[in-house]
Amino acid sequence: MTGQAQLLPGTLDLLILKAVSLGPLHGYGILLRIEQVSRRALLIEQGALYPALFRLVRQGLLTASWGKSDNNRRAKFYDLTPEGRKRLRQEASDWNRLVAAMTSVLGTQPEEV
Amino acid sequence: MKFLASLRSLCSSLFHRKHIDSEMDEEMRLHIQNRADDLERSGFSRVDAERRARIEFGGVERFKEEVRETRWETHLDSLFRDFRYALRSLRKDRRFVGVAVFALALGIGASTVVFSVFYNLLFNAFAAKDAGRLVVPVIEDSETSGEAYSLWTSWADLKYLRERNHVFEDVIGFRTVRSIVQDGARMFQFDGAWVTADAFEFYGVPAFLGRGIVSEDGEAGAPKVFVLSYGTWKAEFGADPSIVGKSFVVNGEPRTLVGVMPQKFRALDPWKELFAPARWNPDAEKNEGSKFRLLARVKRGVTFAAASAEFDVLAKQLAAMHPKDDDYPKKFSARVVGANDYLMGPSGAGTVFNSKIQLKSILYDLLAAVLVLLLIACSNVANLLLARATAREKELAVRAALGASRRQIIWQLLTESLVLAMTACTAGCALAWVAMKAVDGAIHQKTWAGMSGEAAVGLNGPVLMFAGVVTLMTTLICGSAPALNATRRDLQAQLAGNGKGTGDGFRHGKVRAGLVIGQVALSIVLLIGAGLMMRSLHLLTHIDLGFNPKNILAAGFAPARSIDQMPDRAFIASPEGHARFERVVEKIRELPGVVSVAVDNTFPGYGPSNGPKVTVPGGTRVEMAGLDECDENCADTLGIRIVAGRWLSRDEVVTRQWATVLNQKLAHDMFGDENPVGKQLKVKDFDRWQNELQRSFRMKPEQIAPDATFEIVGVAGDVKNAGPQQPAMPMAFIPPMITGDFIVQVRTKVDPGLMMHTVQQAVWDVDRNEVFWIFDPLSEVLDQHTYATPEFGVTLSGPLAGIALLLVVIGVFSVMAYTVSLRTQEIGVRMALGAQRGEILRMVLRHGMVLIAAGICIGVLASFGLTRFLKSQIWGVSATDPWTFGAVAALVVITGLAACLLPARRAASVDPLVGLRYE
Repeated sequence: MTGQAQLLPGTLDLLILKAVSLGPLHGYGILLRIEQVSRRALLIEQGALYPALFRLVRQGLLTASWGKSDNNRRAKFYDLTPEGRKRLRQEASDWNRLVAAMTSVLGTQPEEV
Repeated sequence: MKFLASLRSLCSSLFHRKHIDSEMDEEMRLHIQNRADDLERSGFSRVDAERRARIEFGGVERFKEEVRETRWETHLDSLFRDFRYALRSLRKDRRFVGVAVFALALGIGASTVVFSVFYNLLFNAFAAKDAGRLVVPVIEDSETSGEAYSLWTSWADLKYLRERNHVFEDVIGFRTVRSIVQDGARMFQFDGAWVTADAFEFYGVPAFLGRGIVSEDGEAGAPKVFVLSYGTWKAEFGADPSIVGKSFVVNGEPRTLVGVMPQKFRALDPWKELFAPARWNPDAEKNEGSKFRLLARVKRGVTFAAASAEFDVLAKQLAAMHPKDDDYPKKFSARVVGANDYLMGPSGAGTVFNSKIQLKSILYDLLAAVLVLLLIACSNVANLLLARATAREKELAVRAALGASRRQIIWQLLTESLVLAMTACTAGCALAWVAMKAVDGAIHQKTWAGMSGEAAVGLNGPVLMFAGVVTLMTTLICGSAPALNATRRDLQAQLAGNGKGTGDGFRHGKVRAGLVIGQVALSIVLLIGAGLMMRSLHLLTHIDLGFNPKNILAAGFAPARSIDQMPDRAFIASPEGHARFERVVEKIRELPGVVSVAVDNTFPGYGPSNGPKVTVPGGTRVEMAGLDECDENCADTLGIRIVAGRWLSRDEVVTRQWATVLNQKLAHDMFGDENPVGKQLKVKDFDRWQNELQRSFRMKPEQIAPDATFEIVGVAGDVKNAGPQQPAMPMAFIPPMITGDFIVQVRTKVDPGLMMHTVQQAVWDVDRNEVFWIFDPLSEVLDQHTYATPEFGVTLSGPLAGIALLLVVIGVFSVMAYTVSLRTQEIGVRMALGAQRGEILRMVLRHGMVLIAAGICIGVLASFGLTRFLKSQIWGVSATDPWTFGAVAALVVITGLAACLLPARRAASVDPLVGLRYE
């Protein structure tokens, strides 16, 4: 499992929101998309996806509806609500700020201080 | 909408839990299948792929549980489950539940009753609307720094106050008018209040029958009306509703009775029996007696401090307008006092003859006491729960082993405590309801100094809220220790143990012992407090007053034309007045049931506190002494002891000779141990004391020099003439030659209350214009002013102490019984090895007594520190009275011993064989 990073707590929600924002997906699809987009760099405990999805639906950030998947199986599809979209923007910008700050801190050279 | 949606989601998730679960199952199953498909495509066999997919996914149940936990309905759901489980497991253990609920119900019930008394007497004492903003304007002489007294103003000044202030919603006035009410041939005298016509609307309590007084009643030309108090209506008119609307003659003019006020309408003045609207009358303005006492309501949002500041300014303006009025001292400050504070405080009705024991501090004591009681009940139940938790160790261990988290187990145990506490709360409230009826009845049975008489002690909103809070607190106090304890231990050991808790840790036993010790200590504090109050009341009611107040009816009367004032002295002193007075006294003396009648000029026992300076002719010692004008029957009728010589003779009284009887204090002060009989007493400036009333006193003996010399004919025992708790002041009894004010003291064979009607009628047979300005059984006056408050403290603290003792017995008993059952095996071994039953008995008793003794020591030490807070509420007994302390300790030892005895006997009767096999 080298090359794979453990998720920071709280980042799973953001990843799900981002994945779903690219188009409605079912649970397994979300997993695949995150793996694909992150080039398998992020490790997600598969089962943990569902409590997170459930929570996001309860918070009104996602909607869920039953439909047919590519392989003609029944599946529950998740889509972003307008509120979810707003939250995604917000959290993404927060994240970017955090990353920028962290990067600048970690990149500090001795002579810069 | 959002609310509706969440409600719908709550319903659907509560009722369609299965549906949601299966949907979740389906979703996860599909996920695993999809994954397996992918894995199969990458080369795994179908079986391998599915296995792998499941492993990768992780525990389906765990995630499902996690999903469930994200929903708050789940908590509700698990709460219901916990409740159901608690009920089930409690039902299995009825005896435990019975004892625990009983103890808690006593605790919660008692605290609810006491809180109700506390809250309703202190913060909800008036039935008036917005009673919290009712204030009494008071004024305080800055020079004497005496007590603040209620300001009395004329009608015009009242109007001035009303118009100029910005802080009061309204100000009303009322004044006392002794009223003669005639109903055909029947005649009554009532204590009446003449009120400004808007007073009843201001007060805002609706009439019980008919209507109250309304503003229109005060207008010129309006029909004349009056209103009766409930008590008077019931006592004098047999609670006959048809009298409303009837016309009576009140003080010589016809008035219609328009209504009866409810029982709890007493605040204008607790003693008033009749109310009528006052009308402005320019003549009355000049009359001192027509001044009004004030009651005001502060505007919403105005603080008492702001109201006080403005009232101070207004009162000073009024004072400047009436430079000669003695209601306004030269330098004074004025302020407003909350109505209940006024009533209960030292400035209120409670000042006269007060026992100086304040209701307010007693209420605080009681609240503290009942919280201690509650703590005892809680520790009792905590102990029971601990014992139960030990017995359930194995059950809990199994639950933990099956995956119950520590939090879940704690919740479960707390839920059990909550169920217990809620049951106890219901039972306690029922108990409290019954007790409150009794307390409420007792409080309103008689009128007290210092109490509005309007408070309704009952289960009202704040009281119920208190009971609820207490229940939650109890749950936490009782439940948390056992719950934490139960989850702190080693699973392995518990599962391996026999589940009966024989491996019961040393620490665990210590907690229980500590709780018992604490209980005993707390109960000691409570019992000592109650004991001190009881002893104090006993001493207070057994003070030797120097006279016998039983069966004495005190009556002072005056002709009706001086209806608002003290007796018309000029008339009484005139020959015809005197003759009439004699006739009245004779008439009373002849009544059946009257033992004797005496006449003097003070209320017995509260004699003149200051008087002229007296000395011995040729002597140097000068002292102030009170002078009481008595007739020849005073000593016999009032039960005053003669210590030396004799009492005044009839001849000396009738012809007003210079004869006197000293009280012991004065005799001792003046003559030491010598017998003063036959010696003389000089009263300095006697004529000045006399002269003040010279105008009216026409029958005085020949004018003499300023100093008067009296022949001492006897010495009388000291009468408590400065209040029952004070030492007697020097006093001399002389024939009537100073004031002309007389009170008739009637000693009756029966309860003087029963004689009141007869005596009144006898007086009115002689003169229908006679008005009583004092007319009361003496013992009742003493009761209301001196004994009622401490008695109240004892009536409430006594039962509290009793309950505390009962709880301690339960606590000691249950712990001892439990300890014995834990040690059955050990006892069996001991007996098998030859221990005698007596030794076993002693062993168990010793164990119990060690706990009790430790508790007593701590309790007594704590009491030494705590009882000083009681100092102001007890009289005549030290706050660390060794007798009370000793008696309480002995009581607790005896009851504790009794509580240990039964378990000890059970231990001693253990059959060694059974004991050895005991599991």
